Amino acid sequence: MNYDAVVIGAGHNGLTAAAYLGKAGRKVLVLERRHVVGGAAVTEEVFPGFKFSVCSYVVSLLRPEIIRELDLPRHGLEILPLDGTFTPMPNGDYLWRVNDHAKTRREIARHSKLDAEAYDEYGKAMVEMARFVKPILNMTPPDPLSSNPRELAKFWFLLRRFSRLADDDRYNQLQLMTMSAVDFLDQWFETDVLKATMAASGIIGTFLGIRSPGTAYVLLHHYMGEIDGAFRSWGFARGGTGAISNAIADAAREAGVEIRTLAGVARIEVKGGRATGVVLENGDQVMADVVLSSVDPNQTFLRFIDDQELPGDFVDDVRRYKFRGSSAKLNLALDALPHFTCLPGDGPHLRGALSISPSVDYMERAYDQAKYGEFSRRPYIDMVIPSLTDPSVAPPGKHVLSCFVQYAPYTLTSGTWDEQREALGDAVIDTIAGYAPHIREIILHRQVVTPLDLEREWGLTEGNIFQGELTPEQLFFARPVPGWAQYATPIRNLWMCGSATHPGGGIMGAPGRNAALRILNRNRG
Amino acid sequence: MRFDVIVIGAGLNGLIAAAFLAKAGLKTLVLERTDRVGGGVRMSEITPGFRCPTLAHSATLDPAIVRALALERHGLEIFQPDADVCAPTADGRALTLWRDPARACQDIGAFSSRDGARYVPFLESVRRISGVLAAALASLPPSFDAPTAGDVFAGLKLGRAFRALGKADGHRLMRWISMPVADLVTEWFESEPLCAAVAAGGVLGSFLGPRSAGSSLVLLLLGAIHRHPIAHGWCSRRGVGAVSDALTEAAREAGVVIRTDAAVERIEVTADATSAVTLASGESIAARAIVSSVDPKRTLLKMIDPIHLAPVFVRRVQNIRARGTLAKVNYAVSALPKVANQSPAALSGRIRLAPNMDAIERAFDAAKYGGFSDKPWIELTIPSVTDPSLAPDGAHVVSAYVQYAPYALRGTTWDDERERLGEVATRTIGRYASGFESAIIAREVITPLDLERTYGFTGGHIFHGELALDQLLGRPVLGWTRYATPIRNLYLCGAGTHAGLNGDSGARVAKEVARNLKRQ
Repeated sequence: MNYDAVVIGAGHNGLTAAAYLGKAGRKVLVLERRHVVGGAAVTEEVFPGFKFSVCSYVVSLLRPEIIRELDLPRHGLEILPLDGTFTPMPNGDYLWRVNDHAKTRREIARHSKLDAEAYDEYGKAMVEMARFVKPILNMTPPDPLSSNPRELAKFWFLLRRFSRLADDDRYNQLQLMTMSAVDFLDQWFETDVLKATMAASGIIGTFLGIRSPGTAYVLLHHYMGEIDGAFRSWGFARGGTGAISNAIADAAREAGVEIRTLAGVARIEVKGGRATGVVLENGDQVMADVVLSSVDPNQTFLRFIDDQELPGDFVDDVRRYKFRGSSAKLNLALDALPHFTCLPGDGPHLRGALSISPSVDYMERAYDQAKYGEFSRRPYIDMVIPSLTDPSVAPPGKHVLSCFVQYAPYTLTSGTWDEQREALGDAVIDTIAGYAPHIREIILHRQVVTPLDLEREWGLTEGNIFQGELTPEQLFFARPVPGWAQYATPIRNLWMCGSATHPGGGIMGAPGRNAALRILNRNRG
Repeated sequence: MRFDVIVIGAGLNGLIAAAFLAKAGLKTLVLERTDRVGGGVRMSEITPGFRCPTLAHSATLDPAIVRALALERHGLEIFQPDADVCAPTADGRALTLWRDPARACQDIGAFSSRDGARYVPFLESVRRISGVLAAALASLPPSFDAPTAGDVFAGLKLGRAFRALGKADGHRLMRWISMPVADLVTEWFESEPLCAAVAAGGVLGSFLGPRSAGSSLVLLLLGAIHRHPIAHGWCSRRGVGAVSDALTEAAREAGVVIRTDAAVERIEVTADATSAVTLASGESIAARAIVSSVDPKRTLLKMIDPIHLAPVFVRRVQNIRARGTLAKVNYAVSALPKVANQSPAALSGRIRLAPNMDAIERAFDAAKYGGFSDKPWIELTIPSVTDPSLAPDGAHVVSAYVQYAPYALRGTTWDDERERLGEVATRTIGRYASGFESAIIAREVITPLDLERTYGFTGGHIFHGELALDQLLGRPVLGWTRYATPIRNLYLCGAGTHAGLNGDSGARVAKEVARNLKRQ
């Protein structure tokens, strides 16, 4: 059977690309190795009655264009608010920021009056900067070495946009793009726990510390949601993150897209420098005019394609592309809600993110251990209890606690992840118990997802949750590799559409959409 | 005598600015706070008969400046030692990166034949890429608010230089500019001492470890300034101080008046313009323009009453990150340190003491928490190897950069820790050079606090501020990168300004001032 397009991988990006192609009238097939769609945006009933967003656990920046154009709410998508971030502190105090600006301001004032004032100014500055960055997310990155006038025009567009910013915004923008999260926040705030918690978002999915330059940029993501308008930047999907993938899959099916699970790809067929289809693990052959890969470049180019089909320098660049997974997941089934010593009870603070990031030094020490090949004994943990907002994911009265853990480096100096898995789980629970001592008594089941598990089960090379580090040298016109940041590949009719392309990871959907639009444009032209 | 221009600070940039101003026919006075000229480039007699570079153990000037000021006629003798870097290993061997690439490759080959084959392509690639950065430093940063034809032209020229790199190097530059130097180095090499010796150039003087993003930029930038990817700076006969001496001669010949022990306390501002400075002695000296080669934070926050500056400008100056991490320990020793049984020729350049990149990273770790490591990263030079006149017969002077020594210590002060720092440095050197400790005749320890108090480097930062991307595109602050300041007739030059690391800022500020004074 011959398809117009075949998409490898049914993660949210693969599905998004498929849906856009399908809506444009193309005959599309999506191939998924696992038994469910969703990739890392998946909900699974790991323990009877307990449904977990096994990997990715919050909605971050899902493009409003996609929600609108694919009409996702009609396909069952419902985003519930994730209100605020609660950071317990070892001294018995806490920092509790919520979406309500005035409330947060009062809370910060409890720690520092100056910071409360700065918080207003900071918020305004960040919104301005988010406005600047937003159109870049939907843009095909230009190639700085190309002489094509269309590419140069993109640079001109960026330069003009930058030069038209107010002087203060230019200053902030330059800093935000290049500085470390801590250095940037140091200029605004003095409260340690505030800086640590805000900076934490800058290191997610990278193997850098919060003091390393290049980590400030992600601070912006928290403000991007405000201008997206549709909803806040962070939220839950009702039914877990898998519900997002399911909604997109539904939209795709409605557009005529065929989705096959348990259909792992073994090889991409290349003839005369052109992709002609794929061969499945079971030997089946699928012919297609266009092949889109939403899996990472390591799989796409080094596993699915013979080296000889690719230019040598491209293969070298792909080999240099850095994955270095640094995070793990701990999913807990709880008998009751956890209670924090610093703010006892089932208060609304449990409905937001619960962040173990008590100080800048704490975060940095967690990184130091990982640098030398150990997981952090006292890691940074970002927890959510989706069952509070969405009771459908746990049996009545029970709860699920999802813990994102960093740093858990893919490469350990001693032992393997199979040997260290439970030790990591213990370290996380010990850390949480430091703030919520009864946690041990309420755990019914636990699932530890190590970087090795992410690689084996989800095909994320070295367990990197973003299909490659989100560091500046691997962003924008260098994602995944310089010269090939426009979704195309050295093989004709083979395209990339996953998180390893601009603008990168998170449940954004932008890579899938950008790639599909680019292919359609090419087909039209 | 009435002066046209007062230059504050007699460091390299200050002296160069003064010399060019005088050559342009302006009566120029240089005011230096300490007892001698040179700023960071000076010598001290640690003990009678031993002359050692006090702070910087190497320096570089733009060759155009050397020619324009005829520094060679004024006694400057630059030479390149036989070895760029010698890196002793933990197991008693040593890797010497000879100036002669063929010989270096041979030495590297003993550690890894793959690395030996890659060394020359690496040097060439970094040289080409650094060339683009050098081109960027040679043009003024663009003005966003009022771009002129000159800006556009400079931008196009720079764009052309970048594109001329071709695909391979062009892509490298795109990636390297924000990458950790540890990643850059491991893309090329596998042998630990080589990786460490090269990576060290990316963290020098910076609050960065080899794994910190942005450290590659430091390597490329220093490579651009020094025209060598690894060995940063020249050697000169009679020690690095000879550079300052030659500049002083050139300046004096052009008619510059230099006063040492003349500390400027305040830059006087009336109606948003300056026309005088007041010395610590109370003496007031007037001039038509004032050029400060002192670091921007000190100039703009300490020497000027903040009421004369807009709050947003003051905040940006306060935001300049200048947290020094480098301490200096100078030694007079009775014999040449035996570094892994290397010949004196192998020790003629820099000697970098770090067995691997992790050792440097671990030394940095301590600094993040306000402490200093028991196992610091050290770079030595033994200038008496190439110029025996610096020490008595058979004896030597050893100049050591010790990193990381964070300016802001927690729970203690540098005055209390000075001796411990000296001990740690001595012990570390002794680990690589047997008998070093017993050969010491005298020792001088200069902490980051001393760098600030005695030599005027705010935060003890040897570059007047981190060499980070945001601080390079806007040096000292975005919008004020062309040496002028919001205060009329007050100009800046020096390491804290654009192209200030090789004396160019001195030459350029002179041009700017001369042009503006002629207009008035």
